[in-house]
Amino acid sequence: MVVNDIGENRVNREGLKGWLNPTRYGWERVSYWFQRLTGIFLLVYFIGHVYETSSLTNGIDAWNAMLELTQTTGGHIFLILVIGASTFHSANGIRLIFVQSGKGLGKPGRPDYPYDPVSLNKTQRSGIWIALILSAVAMLYGANVLFE
Amino acid sequence: MNFENISKKQLFKESQIMKIHYITGICALFVVAIHILMRVIMPYNMSLEYENVVMNYHNIFYAILLEIILVLIAIHGFNGLRIILIELRQNTAWEKSMTILTIIGMISIIAYGTRTIIIGNGLEI
Repeated sequence: MVVNDIGENRVNREGLKGWLNPTRYGWERVSYWFQRLTGIFLLVYFIGHVYETSSLTNGIDAWNAMLELTQTTGGHIFLILVIGASTFHSANGIRLIFVQSGKGLGKPGRPDYPYDPVSLNKTQRSGIWIALILSAVAMLYGANVLFE
Repeated sequence: MNFENISKKQLFKESQIMKIHYITGICALFVVAIHILMRVIMPYNMSLEYENVVMNYHNIFYAILLEIILVLIAIHGFNGLRIILIELRQNTAWEKSMTILTIIGMISIIAYGTRTIIIGNGLEI
């Protein structure tokens, strides 16, 4: 247990459960979720991709055996998910860079009932929607290339 | 708890690490776009044929591009994982262990990928 300077308990009581709880925060929480889930998914893909391409060093037979495993319908569907995840992660990541530099958050105001946060304005919500739409378009393009 | 001492022991402040995270993310976006373009300038299946892939590795500019992608995504990806992991628990021992673990992961994947690029560059068709 870690206690800070003013004696507060700093243990994150909810842990993963709090991280995954979508009920309290609306669209921002959904985007927070997607950003992390797509990030983990893309890191796993990246490690797998580095590993699969290393079969090149074992010659043409090893390379072709790897292609037989990955260039299947299932492999293509997985790649389409990678395309969608990377597009969402990039577009939403750019939105988050603007948010952290204070752009598009609106002016701070007095908290009045029903206490809607000013930061969750139209700009932010449309940013999340744009990221979702872009990833859907990228997935369609990817499907078109992979299944042509 | 003395927070001054913790920050003095760190190589980078968290704010600096976040800047590195954003810069590597944006740079990776551009270099990965070039990497994907190389797959679609010819029919996708043809671009994956052994001879074409080895030819890519023989092109020194493309090999450098692959190395840049490898380093940028390893830094961005493993730092992202570190951020997620240290959000789950807040104590110095956990944060230090996660930082060390992710740095080991980052270095390992860069070393393994670099090995492929170097061997691929010297392969004969």
